[in-house]
This record gives sequence, structure tokens and C-alpha cells, in this order.
Amino acid sequence: MSNINDNNKKKTPSLLSRWFKRAFFGPHRELSFMEEEALQSPLRTMADNFFARKLSVFGLVTFLLIFLFVMLGPIFVPIDLSYQDNTQMNVAPGMNMMSVPREIQGSLVKIAPGKTFGLGLDKNGKTHLWGYTRITDTINLARVPQEVLDARIKDIAVGYDHAVAIDESGKFHIWGNTRLGQDRLTTEMSNAMRRGDNLNIVQIEAGNQFSAAVSEDGHLYLWGNSNLNDIKMKSQYQDHVAKVAININTYLVLTKDGAVAYPGFQENVYSRIPEGLDKGVVDIAATSNTNAALKEDGSLVFWGNITKGENQVPEHLGKIISIHGGRNHYTALTDQQEVLSWGSNTFGESSVPDFPQNATIENIYTGSYQNYALTSQGDVITWGLKGYVLGTDHLGRDILTRIISGGRVTMTVGAVSVIIAVFIGIIMGGLSGYFGGWVDIVIMRIVEVVGGLPFLPFALILSAIIGTRITVEQRMYLIMVVLGLLSWPSLARLVRAQILAQREMEYVTAAQALGVREGAIVFKHIIPNVISVIIVSATLSFATSMLTESTLSYLGFGISPPTPTWGNMLTGSNNSVVIQQYWWRWVFPALIFSICTICINLIGDGLRDAIDPKSNER
Amino acid sequence: MGKYVLKRLVYIIIVFLVLSLLMYMLYNLIPTDPARAELEPMRPSLKPDEYQELYLKLRADLGLDDPMLVRYARWIGFAPEKDGKLNGLFQGNFGYSNLYKKDVRLVIADPMAITVFMNIFATILALGITIPLGIKTAVKKHSLLDKSVQVFSIVGYSIPIFIVSLVFIYLFAVLLPIFPVMGTKTPGSTFTGLRAFTDRLYYLALPLIVMTFASLGGMTRYVRAAMIDALSMDYVRTARAKGVREKAVIYSHAWRNALLPVVTVVIGWFLSIFSGSVVIENTFSINGMGKLYIDGLNNNDYELVLAMQMFYTIISLVGILLTDLSYGLVDPRVRVNK
Repeated sequence: MSNINDNNKKKTPSLLSRWFKRAFFGPHRELSFMEEEALQSPLRTMADNFFARKLSVFGLVTFLLIFLFVMLGPIFVPIDLSYQDNTQMNVAPGMNMMSVPREIQGSLVKIAPGKTFGLGLDKNGKTHLWGYTRITDTINLARVPQEVLDARIKDIAVGYDHAVAIDESGKFHIWGNTRLGQDRLTTEMSNAMRRGDNLNIVQIEAGNQFSAAVSEDGHLYLWGNSNLNDIKMKSQYQDHVAKVAININTYLVLTKDGAVAYPGFQENVYSRIPEGLDKGVVDIAATSNTNAALKEDGSLVFWGNITKGENQVPEHLGKIISIHGGRNHYTALTDQQEVLSWGSNTFGESSVPDFPQNATIENIYTGSYQNYALTSQGDVITWGLKGYVLGTDHLGRDILTRIISGGRVTMTVGAVSVIIAVFIGIIMGGLSGYFGGWVDIVIMRIVEVVGGLPFLPFALILSAIIGTRITVEQRMYLIMVVLGLLSWPSLARLVRAQILAQREMEYVTAAQALGVREGAIVFKHIIPNVISVIIVSATLSFATSMLTESTLSYLGFGISPPTPTWGNMLTGSNNSVVIQQYWWRWVFPALIFSICTICINLIGDGLRDAIDPKSNER
Repeated sequence: MGKYVLKRLVYIIIVFLVLSLLMYMLYNLIPTDPARAELEPMRPSLKPDEYQELYLKLRADLGLDDPMLVRYARWIGFAPEKDGKLNGLFQGNFGYSNLYKKDVRLVIADPMAITVFMNIFATILALGITIPLGIKTAVKKHSLLDKSVQVFSIVGYSIPIFIVSLVFIYLFAVLLPIFPVMGTKTPGSTFTGLRAFTDRLYYLALPLIVMTFASLGGMTRYVRAAMIDALSMDYVRTARAKGVREKAVIYSHAWRNALLPVVTVVIGWFLSIFSGSVVIENTFSINGMGKLYIDGLNNNDYELVLAMQMFYTIISLVGILLTDLSYGLVDPRVRVNK
């Protein structure tokens, strides 16, 4: 009978909190009403009170989820601190980079894969654009000129920030970023355009601020930004060109008699063509930093700055008949309809999917981190970079990866510094509160001095003195330790006040009468009685530590890039262009960080109310 | 009481001296060479041995080779300079700013004016909102208003101030372009009087809103807790039993007693009006104390930063003392001299 009454009096805990209780504290033992409450330890009461508060439990669950997310996340999405890619800067969240519109899938004849977008050409000579087409905050490739929409387009190409199209009359159309001469045709080309001549272009390619076109009679036309790119041509190669391939800022050609040539004037790693490529070459391709040539017998030769396994051709059965280059990977097709991709695989651009059994691959288009295979049925099969869930930052780094790794850093810094602070705070506060007298006076003065030391110049000067001698990681530990060493005073004050109150209690007198050593009285008898207050304070100062760390990192005095933290991810976001145009760069880190600190404070608040008997009245 | 204050003052002086020594040593750990910096412009016109001679002479004149403690004593004003005069912190010489090529006292004047201006407004705004809100939520505790304010205030003090700034810039400068984002006055304007005042207020509106918002959460909870404690007292029940009007019970009986803990916090607040918020001033490009501090740190202008640091230290130490004393002053029941 009494049990029923008691159950009615207590609010029935929700399913979630019951589950939590069972998970962490074991199942409830049935109590007879005589021993009810009397057997509950203070910590147990605290836990019960805590789990009765929905908001706090919500905070705990959310915090644990975020904690697991950032602690386990780096195992699945490891971060490469040195990675940055200027072609992937400020990309908005989205997974549509390879979403070829369904209605044009049957009629596509060519696809030009751009850095974060794709340009397709259909049978009717119409262009179609998909993916993330914004180049800068003012230039958008999606603003296709009306003349392109009106004309019947014959061939297309896209570079890093511009697109080129030729219509049936041989007229060039260039749009996108044209500020660096991307649309400045050479004199002979513009003269031909003005006369209305058709140059009979058979291939066009576009790269980083420059473009190339090959005519039927082997003439190579090059135009664009010549300051950055080696786009002049030695005259002996002119009018013999069969194919052109473009890497980051040079180009190479395949001549009509099957030789590979570097017609530019620069001496560089690309101009040193390996031996044996003066005849019998059937195809050429280039990634950003390497060049490749395919010989008649299906063998491949690579040169350039090979750093990402661009020369590791996978096992294959048939003979390679064509090769295509992306940003850091190659894709090739063999005569037995095998598709091979190799090189870097950061975004899965080298993971070729399984093709349908009956599919005959008609053509492969590779560029940037995307691959498109066009089958004879008109289907488009894609693999590679689909997009970024949370977008990218100003250096082209994935924000999701950085949030996960940054969260780990921020939480580690917060936790380690709180542990240091709690440790010192308990010892100093314990000594000061229990012994009193001159010990108290001295320790309280130390507390005042340390409390008066400002963190900012401390961290700055320390890093100025030893900053150059230590690695980024050591610097992170330095920040943790300094943060911990400077944040114990408030905790010491709290412990001291608690112990002052406990010191006069009877159990302490009893322990003294039994002859327990004074150190043992403080740390074995008194501290366990005030530990709940310390736990609450530590929880709340965990949030404060995270806030301090992120504020410092935001100001540029804490943990410095490339190591991400939730604070330094927001550095440089305080201008209206970023706030408005690149909102994903600050919204996501700010959101997860705010949720995290709110949850910690909810937990701390819940704990504080749980140990405070007066809180039930409030 | 007098003895207590005296004892605390002695402690303050000790703590200040230890802190200043620590800070001085810290800043002197940085390998800088003022003598070389001063001679650098003349270097091309001098022969190497001439330069070396001048350099050594300057080092001796500036006392750079003396022991650290001697230099510290000179800087703080306990030991005479080379010319035999005491000219340190205690004599009112705050040092010379290398960054601005002016005395630190002159450098600090303008930023201080802006910071104090902002802080006074923010404090008044924050108190004007939090005190009524705290009373209201305490009186109607567990109401919908109370619960939402509780949640809101946790959110308010959990979110770092730079995120609040970003959100407010987005809301009030980008989405609804009401306020300017940067600066302290209309560029190129030479307003005077009331016009200058309103112009400045308009430019500082957004940072002021952010500052006020950031301080709402903590203060509301504090007022609420104090008020709940006061409302649970026996004299409140007595007053109600006597049939005193509810308004009079709340404002005259309970609030007056709840005021005591609040006042001490407010005193602490008013003392902190001299220190600018580093984050807000940097985010909104306001030339206040916080920005000056960061600029000084970034440009190795250590005399400036050190002087500011000492100023803040004194204020915070005095602030702690005043807060402790004010407990006794506003509440005669509390005895401080123990």
C-alpha cells in the first residue's frame, strides 16, 4: 500500500532516464518501506535527483552523443593536416556535384567535369550545368550567356573557373571568370572570328586560367593568363598537333606522328619527357601534377611530380585503349571494357563502382575529382567526389572533417586543463581550508596572484619564447597545461569554503580523537564529503575551459591552424562576405560548439540542483 | 573594521608587488633589444666599430645589462634611474609605447573613453533588463515564463561571445541592414555635441546589444536566486499574513533584502567598466582597451601591455576588496572583520 503511495508521489521517470539508470547504476533493488531512503548514499540521491530532471538528462545524452561523435569520428574520417586544395575553396554544403539531371541522361553526348560542377552537352547542341557553380562571391558559372543558350554547341570544355564552348559555326563562347584573360583569344583567332572563318576545331581543353584548342589540320591555339602558365609554343611543333592535354599550368601535345612533345619554353619537370615517347604513342593525359602517355602496346609512361600514386596502375586483363586525367588520379578504359582508376582516393575518385553486366562503355570523362562513364544505352555512371555534407572552408578543406577533429582537440584541451585544475585546486584548497592560520594566508595570496595572471599574454609569451622550438602538437599540450595551471584558483576557493564548513563537524572531531593523521582527515574524510560540490564545479569549469580555449583560438592566440579547434575554425569569419555568402563556414562549427557548451552547462546545472536539498523548493 | 581594511590593503600591496614582478619577468623573457631597435635607422651611416661603440653605450644608458631585479625596481619606481631620479610606475610614469611612439598614458586616453562609454551603457541596459526579469521569474516561479527564461539564460551564458557576435552581425547587419558593422563614428564626419553622441551610439549599437545579451543570462539567474531566497523568508509570510498588498510584499519586503547580494555583484561590474572586451572590440573593430591590448601584444609593444596589465590588476584587487566590504556595508548583519 505504502509502495503505491510512494510511487504516486515520485514522478515516474521517463523511459530514457530509467534506461540510463539501469545502464550506469544497475537495476533498482526492491526496497521494503522500512528501509526506504535510509539506505541511499548521497551520491545515489544525487544521481536519482539528476535523472529526474528531463532537461539535464537531455543535456547528458546530447553531450555523450557529441562526445562519441568527435572521439570516434577521427577513426572513420582521419584528417590530413597538410591537405588544402584551392580548387575546392568555399564550396557550399551539398551532394549534387555529379547529379546529372535525369531528363538529359539519355541524350548526353559529352560531359566536361569541372572542379565542383559538371557541364553536359546533349544531342541538340544544348548545354546543361549541374553541381556547385559559384566561382567567387560575384561570379557564377550558372549565368550562361544567352548566345550560348541560343547557339547549337558542338564541343565544350571547363577549366578551374571558366567554361569554353564552340558552336557549329566555329565561334568560341567563354564565360565564368574572365578577369585574368580567360576570354582573350589570340589575334589570329579573333581575326578568324571576325571574318567568320570556321577553324574546324576538333578538341578543346580548359585548365587553370587558360584554354587550348586543336584544329583539324593540327594547329594548336592557346589563350588565357600567360603570366601564370607556360602557354607559348615553339614553332616546330605547330600544325602537327593531334591532341593536347593540360595539367596545372603547363600543357603537352601528342603530334600526328605519335610523339609526345612539350612545346612550351619553360624547363621543368614536365618538359623532361622520358625516353621512348618519340613514336608509337596513342593517347596522352594529365593530372594536376603529372603527365601520362599511352603507347600502342597498352603500356603507360608517367612523369612529373608523382606523389599520390599516379603511376600505380592496377592489375587489369585487357589492353588499355584510352586514358583520362583528373586532379590527382587517372582513369583508363581497356579493350575488354574494364574501367580502371588509380592515384589519390581522397574522395573515392579511384573507387570504380561495379558496372551493369550489359553496359558497353562508350566514353569516359574524368576531371577534378569526378568521373563519368557514358554507356551506349545513354546511362551515366559516376564515381568520385559527390560534394561536401557541410561544405568547405577558405582553403578547400572539408568542414565536417575539421569539426570532428576540432571537437576532439577542443574537448581534450578542456578535459585535460580541468583535470589539472581540479587536482591542484583540491590540494591547495584542502590544505588552506583545513590548516588555516599562516598556511591559509599564504595559499590565499598565491590564489590571488595566480588568479591575477592573465592567460592571454602568458600563452603568447610562452609561445614566443618556445613556440619555434616545439611542434604544433606540443604547443597544444602547452596550452592545456597553461590553461590548467591558471584556472585552479576559483576551485581552490570553493574547496576551502566547503572544508571550512566541514572542519567543525563531529565526524572530523571523531577522526581527530582516533588519532588519524591530519592529511588523511582532509583527503580521506572531508574531501569525499564535499566531492559532489567539486564534481559540479568541475563540470561547469569544463565548459568554461572549452570557452576559453576557443576564444583564444578565435583570437589567434590559442591552438594555431592547421590543427583545427572549434574556436580557430571561426577565425576570420567576422566579415560580412563570409557571414553572408559562406555561411556554412561559421554556422556549423558555431552550432555544434554552442550545443556542446549548453549541454555541459545543463548537466552542471542539473547536478548542482541535484545535490542542493533546497533546490526542490526552487 | 579599520584594522580589517588596513590588513587587506597590506595584502593587496604584497600581491600587487609579486604579480608585477612576475609579469615584468615574463615580459622580459622575450628576446627583444630596444637599444638595437633604436640604433637601427642610423646603422647605414655608421662604421661597424662606431656602431658597436654607440650600441654598447646605449645599452649601458638604458640599463639593459643590469640585473633583472634592479631593472624591475627602476620600472616600478623603487630605484633611481641612471640620472638619479625616481621615475617609475609609482611616480606616474607608465612607460613609453613603441608602437604609437607616445607615452602610454596618452595612448590609453582615447580607447579608455570609448570603452568606458560602451561599458556604462551596456551595464545600465543589462541591469535594466535583468533585475525586473529576475524578480518576475522569482515571483512566478515554475510558470511558463520562468521556465523559458531559465532555458534561455543557460543558452545565453553557454554560447561564446564571438558566436553571439557573428549571429547578431548576421541578423542585424546582413539580413536586416539596420546597424553598421564596424567603426565608432561615421567616417569623415565632424559632428559635435548631441549629434556626435547619437552618431557614436548608432555605431556602437550592435556591440552594445551583444555585450548586453552576453551578460543577461548570468545576472538574471543571480537576481532570481536571490529573490527566491528572500521570498521564502518568514518576514515575507508575516507580511502576507498581515494583509500587506502583494506589490508591497515583493518590492518593499522581499526585494530590499534580495538587493543585498545583487549590489555586491553590481559593484564588481562597475569596476570592470575600464577593461574592454577583447573579443567584442576585435570583432567589431572598435578602438577600445581590448583592441589596444591585443594590438600591443601582437606588435611586441610590451611597455604598453604591461602598463595596461598593471592597471587591470589594481582594479581587480581593489574590486575584490570593495566587494567584500560592501557585504558589510549594505547588510549590517554580515561582519567582515573576522
